[in-house]
Amino acid sequence: MINSIIIYGLVNSVILALIAIGFSLTFGISGVANFAYGGFYLLSGFLVWMLLNYLKFPFVLAIIVTIGVVGLLGFVTYWVILLRVRGIPLSEVIATFALGVGILELFRWMGFVTYDFTLPYFKKGMVMIAGVPLDYQRLFIIGIGLALVLFLYFFTHHTRIGLAFRGIAQNERTAISLGIKSDFTAALSLAFGSAMAAVAAIVILPLGIISINQGYEVLLIAVAVGIVGGLESVPGILVASLLLGYAQIITGTYFKPEWMAVVYLAAIVLVLAIKPSGLFGKFKELEERV
Amino acid sequence: MKKEIFLGFLLCVSVIFIVSPFTAYSQLKPGDPIVIGVPTALGSIEGRDGWMAIQMAVDEINAKGGVQVGKTKHLLKAYSIDTREHEPGIPVQDALTATEKLILEKKPHVIALGNFRSEVLLASMDLMAKYKLPYICSIAMTPLFQKKIAETYDKYKYCFRNALNAPYLVMYLQGLMGFVKKQFGFNKAYIIVQDTLWAQGTGKGLEKWYKENGWEVAGFDAYALGASDFSPSLIKVRAQKAQVIVPIFDMPQSGILLKQARAMQIPALLAGFISPIAPENAWQVFEGEVDGMINTIFEIGPVPVKAVPKSVTFHENFGKKWGKDAKINISGHGPGPSYDAIYIFANAIERAKTVEPDALVTALEKTDMTGVVGRIRFSKDHQVIYGFDPKETALGCAFQWRKPGNRVVVFPEAVAEAKIELPPYMK
Repeated sequence: MINSIIIYGLVNSVILALIAIGFSLTFGISGVANFAYGGFYLLSGFLVWMLLNYLKFPFVLAIIVTIGVVGLLGFVTYWVILLRVRGIPLSEVIATFALGVGILELFRWMGFVTYDFTLPYFKKGMVMIAGVPLDYQRLFIIGIGLALVLFLYFFTHHTRIGLAFRGIAQNERTAISLGIKSDFTAALSLAFGSAMAAVAAIVILPLGIISINQGYEVLLIAVAVGIVGGLESVPGILVASLLLGYAQIITGTYFKPEWMAVVYLAAIVLVLAIKPSGLFGKFKELEERV
Repeated sequence: MKKEIFLGFLLCVSVIFIVSPFTAYSQLKPGDPIVIGVPTALGSIEGRDGWMAIQMAVDEINAKGGVQVGKTKHLLKAYSIDTREHEPGIPVQDALTATEKLILEKKPHVIALGNFRSEVLLASMDLMAKYKLPYICSIAMTPLFQKKIAETYDKYKYCFRNALNAPYLVMYLQGLMGFVKKQFGFNKAYIIVQDTLWAQGTGKGLEKWYKENGWEVAGFDAYALGASDFSPSLIKVRAQKAQVIVPIFDMPQSGILLKQARAMQIPALLAGFISPIAPENAWQVFEGEVDGMINTIFEIGPVPVKAVPKSVTFHENFGKKWGKDAKINISGHGPGPSYDAIYIFANAIERAKTVEPDALVTALEKTDMTGVVGRIRFSKDHQVIYGFDPKETALGCAFQWRKPGNRVVVFPEAVAEAKIELPPYMK
């Protein structure tokens, strides 16, 4: 049983990290809390499904097109919607939340409420790890999660755009004085965050069925993990995902599965009470000390 | 004198205003249609398919000239309104407001299909009592509905239900488990439900029955709506060597439970209710992973049962009217009873020779006819009686998924088309 908890706890943790990392990346760079994130996540799932079933795209091509389209949508969202309200946090939240709800409810209105929307496994089959059966899709989730983290580290430390991201995140005014275009970088961060929502959807959704309400749940998970780890901190997201992922599995196995959902809320309350910036967050660290 | 005339006038106006809600919609002149109000969660699969079934029944009856009311025939006219009660965060009051809007604007003579959520159903009963509207509910399942009617009959006598209720679902699951025990000697079950009133109630009813009938309950877990990882329960199922997993879910994410059980190669028979695997196309959707799973269908019709010819006709005609996609996606709960409700009303109106509510209620109580779901009769507390023989009662059933993607009815014995087989991973 312990082996099962270790392996499925890791899978659960990586799923949480995959869901939260795009939201965190956008917030960390542009300061925009993209509340359309759940809408983009679900849009990605349905887009792949439509490309596969209506236009008969090959799976790999459908994935590439979807990541590109959703990333572009994030980019456009910044220029069309967020540019006008940038710097007014409440307006940013309202605008992006409205966009997310609009996307989700559009699919509901279009009749995407039946049970036949599911994405294919990358590869069928399973392996035994320490006596615990684990299917290839969950192995892919772990692999892609780790690859995404490594990619993000390499990208933000060794590419011009990545360095611009970090520059804006550290001090926007200084970055602008060095010639980094603030709005363009913020729009790119939204595009990257949205594309990561698409990656998460494409990897995670084959585990079950695509349903509208998942869009709302994904947003809740992204916010919860972000609050615990620190909204702008990628290491914080990873640590928070591991903490919450294992806490959920242990709660479900040794206590009651219905309490698994309470783990998020309890963690949020605890972190907000003890360290409001999150475990690795720095946004309000000075105010907290004062 | 003037004052007395004024007071008399005021009294008359008051009486008209007080009495009008109870009588205004009962008048039926020659040429008037009989209006059916359909307030329901149109965005839900059950609501959407139920509304389609109602339109089908209305068209069929109108094609034959309508309903005979005394000496004149009247066509049926159905109007729907979306109560959105299946969506998270929609308050009961919003659903009631939508229902009342439909009542006031369309002035229906009867209400069909109705509420999706039990708490909305219970609250809407007062609305039906206020407007004296005969109402047949075809989705929400709480037994409290019947309790209210039994306890306050004069007020709630207008409310009926022809869909399965939670105790009947427990009855079918008990019967199925008895059957499984008899056939394979299984006696260790693990119950996994979603954390909602109806599913918890069904699970607890079944747990009690298991303990009284020589079964060991290895575990009872409930998952919050939206849960997407069921490994904690599946780990315990494997560790405790449970032979049967009994899932009770209608949330879309419950498809994950099935896929995860297969991915983890849990050697237990899945037998219960998972709504995503009920439709005809679930074999394709889950790429054959449903093989061997036994699923309950609340009311027959979406699954045709040869012993009930009307269920076969309904299933075929639904596909002809709404297309192949609608047919393969049809919900296992709601459409059969929704279709039947229109025929029940038509039959009662013809016998009562009026749409006057009290006369119609009396006629509805005496209903005895055969519909898509089998024989339809109401109990004293206005619930259609379900059982195991469609010649005597309405019918739910259990089917098993078999290669190459067929749903084979395996329970109740009276209508079973094959015996239960152990899935390949348990042989």
